[in-house]
Amino acid sequence: MIAALRRWVGTTGFRITLLHLLLTLLGTLLLAGIGYWATSRFAAQQIAAEIERDVGVLLGAGRLGGVPSIALSIEARIAADRSLTQFFLLAGPDGGRIAGNLAVAPRRLGWSTIELDTATQDSVMLAFGTALPGGHFLLIGRDLAPVRELEARLLGAAGWVGGAAILLAVGGGLLVGRSVVRRAAEMERALALVEAGRMETRLAARPGGDEFDRLARRVNATLDRLQASMAALRQVSDDIAHDLRTPLTRLRRRLETLAEATPGAALEEAVAECDRILEIFAALLRIAEVESGARRAAFTAVDLSAVVATVAELHASTALERGQVLVADIASGVTMQGDRELLTQMLANLVENAIRHGRADGTVTLALHDDGITVSDDGPGIPAEARDLVFRRFHRLDAARATPGSGLGLALVAAVAGLHGIGIALEDAMPGLRVRLALPAQ
Amino acid sequence: MRILLVEDDAGTAADIVRALSGAGHLVNHVADGRQGLLEAIGAGYDVLVVDRMLPALDGLGLVRALRAAGVATPALILTARAGIGDRVEGLDAGADDYLPKPFAIAELLARVNALGRRPALQAEPTVLRVADLELDLLRRTATRGGQRIELQPREWRLLEFLLRHAGRVVTRTMLLEGVWDIHFDPRTSVVETHVSRLRGKLGAPDLIQTLRGSGYVIRAPEA
Repeated sequence: MIAALRRWVGTTGFRITLLHLLLTLLGTLLLAGIGYWATSRFAAQQIAAEIERDVGVLLGAGRLGGVPSIALSIEARIAADRSLTQFFLLAGPDGGRIAGNLAVAPRRLGWSTIELDTATQDSVMLAFGTALPGGHFLLIGRDLAPVRELEARLLGAAGWVGGAAILLAVGGGLLVGRSVVRRAAEMERALALVEAGRMETRLAARPGGDEFDRLARRVNATLDRLQASMAALRQVSDDIAHDLRTPLTRLRRRLETLAEATPGAALEEAVAECDRILEIFAALLRIAEVESGARRAAFTAVDLSAVVATVAELHASTALERGQVLVADIASGVTMQGDRELLTQMLANLVENAIRHGRADGTVTLALHDDGITVSDDGPGIPAEARDLVFRRFHRLDAARATPGSGLGLALVAAVAGLHGIGIALEDAMPGLRVRLALPAQ
Repeated sequence: MRILLVEDDAGTAADIVRALSGAGHLVNHVADGRQGLLEAIGAGYDVLVVDRMLPALDGLGLVRALRAAGVATPALILTARAGIGDRVEGLDAGADDYLPKPFAIAELLARVNALGRRPALQAEPTVLRVADLELDLLRRTATRGGQRIELQPREWRLLEFLLRHAGRVVTRTMLLEGVWDIHFDPRTSVVETHVSRLRGKLGAPDLIQTLRGSGYVIRAPEA
């Protein structure tokens, strides 16, 4: 569950969902903010306009009938105000109340906000104070509670809309993200099959379709070409096999027949030369075949312990002939997915190499542990700067040119190791060379 | 033995015909796959030697068609192709043995002989015998003149392989394949070493003969 979640967090789907959510949230906040600001400003302006109108009316009444007329008007307004949101104070020059429903108020001119302390609630009112002739003071206020309530409702509405938007964003993101993740996973699975050597695998692509289908078609076209070039390689291999190996074989047979009739060192050497050429062909074709990766389709569980034991057995006597001891240190029960024959040949090549380049009366060690194989000799070793070169085809170190070998043995080792995901490292065994093969994690 | 050779390369075919005839076999040669199939179905051959790449019908197709038709004549496939999966493919198609080109004529002769006198599967023996040497496959014991011989597993397999081909030549390659399950040519003297160790254990008189240039044969010493 946790692992699945962690995997999901790493996906494009998750990022798309997150981005979608953030953008929706930002949009909703912006919209709600602007709406809130505009509406509450409008409501406040409405109230201010009402106050201004009242001021105008009351001043007009004052011009006609003086202070008593204003007082009368105020009383009438208070009586008519059902919502109890209008506040008035008409004060005399001494500050005493003449009319109105406010007990006291600061004698402030112009706009101000005043805290109201009514029985029901704490509130704030917007007020406008005017000085009248004769030292009188008129204050007209409106409770801002309706505006506050409107604002509260706006906030509530914004909350609901925001919540809904988040849900929609997450839902939509999940939906889009899941389909992206699913299709990417499908592609990954198909390509993993190809990597495993199943070259005929293709990605699903609907006709028309979206960018995924276009991508899938492009990948399929690439795979077609890859498969075609692999088929071409196979064709070339067959052609070489048939048109070069067959005549060479015939030539070899002729020379052999001649050698039987008239034995001679020159003819025997010619036969041996034919064999070398044929061997090089076989090795080159085999390396190409291994490098194509097609053999992965035939991988099975290989008992590596048995393979290493067989190779040790095969070469123990060869080592003895050179006065060497082949020491085998083999952990039991080590297995890996692979091609038994190729793995055997890879190890045989390495051990053969170690025997050939090791000290004449020295020790060659072949060890298998759970995580890797090492092949070491106590010969001259390989200088550090030359170690990368030895896996190239036909590369032979100057010192090795005098010894027999095609220069393809280690190239095949590299190809087989690559096919199996085995890492190769060459190390200084002090003295000698140690080849360390790191098995792929299961 | 009556042998059918299906091979399109005239030079190779001539060499093989010469070698097989020289060894006392009756050889019939055809050059394409379809003709080879008709010939193999009709006449009673002991062994078929079939090139893998043939005009009209390739060697694998030929063997497959034969097996589908219920013809069980042992077939040896020759091939110039050295692919890794090719041998398995050949055996899967129903071939009994697979020999990559180039091969030594001695190798071909040994393999053809091994195929030709293969015992029928029903008559699987439980005791293999040569002279006073006995290998009991059920009890897994080896005795010579009643004396028990202790063998390592690999020596046992080597002796069993030799005894199953008693009186016939087995080559080094056949031993590598049959005893060690190795299908490439490692530069090793493992076969020679094991044979000489086995000889030592079996004691005198020597039952295993070395034929220089071709291989080994186990047989009762001529009196």
